[in-house]
Amino acid sequence: MRKLIEIIDDIGGGLLFLRDVFRSGARGPWRYDIIAEQIWKVTQQSFSTTALAGFFVGAIMTVQFTMQIKEFGALGYLGGLATSGTIREVGPLLIAFMLSGKVGAFTSAELGTMRVTEQIDAIRCLGANPLREIIFPRFVGIVVSSFFLLAVGLVMSVAGGLLMGLVFSGINPEEYLRHIPTIVSFPSILSGLIKCLAFALVLSSICTYKGYTTTGGAKGVGRSVVNTAVATMVGIVIMDWLTSYLGETVLRMVMGS
Amino acid sequence: MSSLIQVQDLGFEFEGKTLLSGIHLEVQRGESVVLIGPSGEGKSVLLKAMAGILEPTAGQVLVENKNLYTATFTERTQIMRRMGMLFQKNALFDSLSCGENIAFPLREAAQYTEAEIQAKVDFFLNEVGISHAKELFPDEISGGMQKRLGIARALALNPEVIFYDDPTAGLDPITSRKIIDVIVRLQKEKGSTLVAITNDMNRAYQLAGRIGMVVDGGLIVTGTEQETKAHRDPRVHQFITGDLNGPLTAVG
Repeated sequence: MRKLIEIIDDIGGGLLFLRDVFRSGARGPWRYDIIAEQIWKVTQQSFSTTALAGFFVGAIMTVQFTMQIKEFGALGYLGGLATSGTIREVGPLLIAFMLSGKVGAFTSAELGTMRVTEQIDAIRCLGANPLREIIFPRFVGIVVSSFFLLAVGLVMSVAGGLLMGLVFSGINPEEYLRHIPTIVSFPSILSGLIKCLAFALVLSSICTYKGYTTTGGAKGVGRSVVNTAVATMVGIVIMDWLTSYLGETVLRMVMGS
Repeated sequence: MSSLIQVQDLGFEFEGKTLLSGIHLEVQRGESVVLIGPSGEGKSVLLKAMAGILEPTAGQVLVENKNLYTATFTERTQIMRRMGMLFQKNALFDSLSCGENIAFPLREAAQYTEAEIQAKVDFFLNEVGISHAKELFPDEISGGMQKRLGIARALALNPEVIFYDDPTAGLDPITSRKIIDVIVRLQKEKGSTLVAITNDMNRAYQLAGRIGMVVDGGLIVTGTEQETKAHRDPRVHQFITGDLNGPLTAVG
């Protein structure tokens, strides 16, 4: 029961923190220089990892689909089916997990260290608002760069699938790509991109909140990093379910009308 | 004339335990107040409450009769810009160079051109004697230089009040003496108000107009150097003489 109260308390604290972050952003002025620096830093640090992860997610999906549809003699549909599955569901999820380990842990540790070494207090002491100075730029920077990285990961997943289609399944690139436009519909791509954005928001919110509220020295920083990793993964899975559920509901309403 | 800072019936509770209660303190403009006391008794907590970065669980802190913790965001920012603080572990921005650490509050104040900012950075680095460290990062300079940089950053906006949280912690006696000399000289030149923490009685006497001892959750204002030395409270006497035997042996 106590654990449940702690979790609810934590969620409440996180929402209040987000309110303050948005309020400080709305109050402006925005530090475009720091936001741009954050976008560049996160993108540069995680581009290769995300691209690699995306490539192999696409490759894995192609292998799995090959084993399933080979028996039905439907290998011509491999590209469309593997790409659809990757873009709609598995791609954003796995790449977001990868990003949470890299961007989330780094940001949480960085902010946590700033907190325990009193750098955040020092910012306030110098007449500046730490939420506007360091949190809001990081929040926006992580959302923008994570969305971009996830999208790049999805593009790379098509490349991974294409290569594996050729090497493992014996499907030439033209054949692999032929059915993608017919199976991967606009709502599929939109769904994938909405998921990317939602995961980016979850990642950014949790890592900045956990880092900013760190207490207890080096041990506290370690605890924040672990809590960020766990909370981000749980948050991403829940957001995945929520976006799938809401997406289907909205799609059904649109199709029905 | 009312005091510059008024601490009224201030109290702090951490996880159900009372750390401080019923603290009253008035600091006049241009005055130097030094807080002494055994470790873990709440000196830093009291200082941070006075500096506006740690909200007390009871009582209030007034700066020119304005409550620091109920003031609007804009009012509080304006008050905070009139105060400077040197943290115990300096709290320097490790991702910024020494020069950029001093430039940070100047840029925040948004009232200086870049040329003026650089001129002020050079001036303050020179004032604390570390002009050569402008392009270095905090982890590339010694502990004493980090203290000096912390002081320079705290002074960058020409604050009316400066809080020093144990400015000589971890420094050798000679460097400590130099740091206190810098603090006293700058305070005299600028006529600022000073509230500091130290456990080194020689440095406390060097700094203080008035001394206060934080002990047993309360504050005993002992007065000037002579008054402190002649104070009749056995805890004060034991602390300044460093006796092992006495009422403070059970503390900590």
